[in-house]
Amino acid sequence: MIATIARKEFLEIVRDGRFKWTAALMVLLLVTSLLAGWQRFNSYSQIQATAQGSTNTQWLKQGDKNPHSAAHYGNYAFKPLGPLAFFDSGIVNYAGTAVFMEAHKQNFPIARPATDTSAVARFGELNGAMILQVLLPLLIIFLGFTAFSGERETGTLRQLMSMGVSRGSLLWGKAAGIAAAVLLVVLPCLAVGALALAATGLQTVGGGIGTRVALIGGAYLGYAAVFLFLTLAVSAWAKTARAALMALVGFWAFTAFIMPKTAAEVSRLVEPSPAFGTFMAEMKEHQKRGIDGISPRIRLAEYRGELFRKYGVSRVQDLPVYWTAVSMQKLEELDHPVFEQHYNAVRDEYARQLRLQDRLGVLAPLLPLRSISMTLAGTDLIQHNKFMAETEVFRRNMVLKMNTYLSQAAADLNGVNSATNYMIANEDVFAIVPPFRYEPPALRDVIASQAGNFTLLAGWLLAAILLALVAVKRMSLERN
Amino acid sequence: MYRLIISHETRSLARTGALWAILALLVFAIGFAAFAGGRAIARQAKGAADAVAFENGERAKMRQDTEAYAAEVAASGGTYEFATVNHVPGRGPPQGTNAGVVGAETAAYVALPPTGLAALSIGQSDVQLNYLPASMGTTLDMIKNLETENPVNLQTGPFDIAFVVIFLLPIFILAMTYDLLSSEKERGTLAMILAHPVSLRELMASKIVARAAVILAVVVGFGLLALLSVGTQLDQTETWVRFALWIVATLLYSLFWFSLAVLVNVYGRSSATNGTILAGIWLILVVVVPTLVSLVATTLYPAPSRMDLIVAAREAQTAGEKNMGSALDRFYSEHMDQVPTGDQRAMDFLTLAQANAANIEKALLPLYEQFREQSLHQEGLVQRFQYLSPAIMMQLALNEISGTSTARYQDFLDQAFRFRSQWNDFFASRFLKREPLRPEDYDQFPTFSYVPEPLTTVLGRLATSLAGLLLVCAGVTLLPFVGLRRYQVAAR
Repeated sequence: MIATIARKEFLEIVRDGRFKWTAALMVLLLVTSLLAGWQRFNSYSQIQATAQGSTNTQWLKQGDKNPHSAAHYGNYAFKPLGPLAFFDSGIVNYAGTAVFMEAHKQNFPIARPATDTSAVARFGELNGAMILQVLLPLLIIFLGFTAFSGERETGTLRQLMSMGVSRGSLLWGKAAGIAAAVLLVVLPCLAVGALALAATGLQTVGGGIGTRVALIGGAYLGYAAVFLFLTLAVSAWAKTARAALMALVGFWAFTAFIMPKTAAEVSRLVEPSPAFGTFMAEMKEHQKRGIDGISPRIRLAEYRGELFRKYGVSRVQDLPVYWTAVSMQKLEELDHPVFEQHYNAVRDEYARQLRLQDRLGVLAPLLPLRSISMTLAGTDLIQHNKFMAETEVFRRNMVLKMNTYLSQAAADLNGVNSATNYMIANEDVFAIVPPFRYEPPALRDVIASQAGNFTLLAGWLLAAILLALVAVKRMSLERN
Repeated sequence: MYRLIISHETRSLARTGALWAILALLVFAIGFAAFAGGRAIARQAKGAADAVAFENGERAKMRQDTEAYAAEVAASGGTYEFATVNHVPGRGPPQGTNAGVVGAETAAYVALPPTGLAALSIGQSDVQLNYLPASMGTTLDMIKNLETENPVNLQTGPFDIAFVVIFLLPIFILAMTYDLLSSEKERGTLAMILAHPVSLRELMASKIVARAAVILAVVVGFGLLALLSVGTQLDQTETWVRFALWIVATLLYSLFWFSLAVLVNVYGRSSATNGTILAGIWLILVVVVPTLVSLVATTLYPAPSRMDLIVAAREAQTAGEKNMGSALDRFYSEHMDQVPTGDQRAMDFLTLAQANAANIEKALLPLYEQFREQSLHQEGLVQRFQYLSPAIMMQLALNEISGTSTARYQDFLDQAFRFRSQWNDFFASRFLKREPLRPEDYDQFPTFSYVPEPLTTVLGRLATSLAGLLLVCAGVTLLPFVGLRRYQVAAR
């Protein structure tokens, strides 16, 4: 019985002229966006790899110089894209793509692509994820809002019931029919996406493509099913088809446009983060007065005393290590807790803002889906934060290696007159710093971070199905 | 007769529950957007103020040192001398006497002041940095920093009044007008009404006037409320001129959606079909076309990657360094604090560092210009394509009116770059002449004062968007009057 209903529903939808138009539009947009995403992904990945290779060479070939000067010259880390970035570009355009790693300073990522695009880009990026998140629900609503309300208005609903069809099988049959029509539109496009994936999948970071695709696919299917059952519920419950459409489109606009922005503003209100100028002023003040209120200058004098005691000497020139180098390393280390406190505070504020937005997903199923999609695509905040953290680890190691080398290699220069008071190092010394390599978070951790969002989405699906069942049970068969 | 119909229409509109619900939502959205926009601008302003205060504090300390030194010199009868670069505190002239140190180690923040309407349309002001550090060094150092903000929130975009106007106001208008004639026809009242001495045009005109009055009240009333709550510089004429422009743009945009609804009604389909068609048009014009235009613009004129620019900058830096004499010179130019006291060459290191910065600057500026050119190409393409959607025209217009447009920022950048070279020259010339900075010289430091663009320039840029809106409106408004002649009054 369910199969018969599904078949009838499917045929009715597919034969409708409106379906052809909307389907054609969807296919066109989805294919265009996937191809454009693929092209962009390739071009970004190429530039990123070339740039990283170039700066790594520049580090080695920077010319013979003092190792500490080399640490000043530093290196750049360029963020690689996640494995499914062509489908969901996530925050890539709005988070920096490069981090300058230099002595004495931790830096924010720079080179944010959004600063170089027109204001029109703020309408959103047309990519596969956006289409499935925003336009697909609307397609489902358009195909399904008359499912019950339409039959009631034409009087066929009562007829159908008189034939002994159970309400439950009517619901499942209609759901299957509409789902088949939707899949007819989406599946061929996703095949194009799969081809694009096959063409790029090999050169990406993050791994576990199969698992990622399966989980993303599952999440989007669940999201689509939420809208499908909500549409059927409202169609059964609403008095007229028109009212059903109004209510559904209203909910769609709420979840797709109003809620994401509202959630962002609410999260900013609850967890405010400082502007650049405020951040820098506070951090520099803190650096000057020292993490615990004792200035680095005093700490440095204490440290010299410690070294004197340790080596049993009373003058800098008698130290077996090069004082200039160890003192610079000491200053560096005195700054570490200050950097940690300030940069981590911002990082944690962003993470808390996102968590709050995810939780507001109880009001809009788009929010948990958006996070799941970005995270599995490898274009999300969690991975951006990990990238930032890794650049800092690299920076500290680079500076430590250079200062340590200098402290030993130039130990005989302590207190020697200025004209010879330096050492120069060459490429071989710079090569003791291994090149930067970004290790994306393990797939297991990525998935675990989204457990809450998957639960939320499952909750929405369950609620939508229950709502549809109840609405169909109580559905009146005639217009009143 | 008109008055009768209008008052009837207004009353029946006032009794539609759904409209009140949408209006309430709109009011809430405007209130929330005003609040959020106000906070965003206040946050930026605090960032700028904190940055300025920090740098001024640094210079104030240097000035205090020079004052103490001047008093000491006056008491002992010595000469006021120039300090070599040395960070280890000790005797002798303080670092504040050295123009090279003051100019390179402190920055003067230059800020783009928000217009009175900045909180109404955040535009691009959240991705750019509206206050930049001018210091010796290179121009690129000045613009490498970005406003810090959660990238997730940037990607989502701000909930500002421009968003409410562009996205939500049309929904309110369409909900009020999508069944303008079709509902009367479906209820059968249209034929009855037209049996009275009233023409279809008169009826239409009255219905339109009633709704237009509501829209006008909403746009002007809430616009004014928003301005009074989060607008600034309310005592300046410019703010009110900008506000007038805001209202004109919003009214044109409203008129477009309103006329569109009337046009769809004139073709005499059912209310449900009208609703679907209008919702579809909204979706295409507000969501699909803008994202498509953006896709096309960035595909045809991709902004050259900043990553490439970074690599090129380092190339120039390395080349400059290699031409810069000995490795020792290089080391000391980076670590003036390590130069032993009394080493006269310390001065040369700063000179060399300066020369190096100048070389990098020379190598990089052409690259940066290329970069900007490509961005301008992209912007130009968007300017041409904006006519495809009133939503794009509206966004560009509102950004322009609120002073958060790309063009205004570019003008600010030009001014900021000019100021940086002024700052650089001031300190470099004194430093190269080994002229000691005296306490009173601290009052002579260059100060940045932003020169606002003439309103005519703003109007010139605005004209394209507004003219486009006007044209589209005119088209959509005139068509219904033609179509109305053939309107089928009775339901078939």
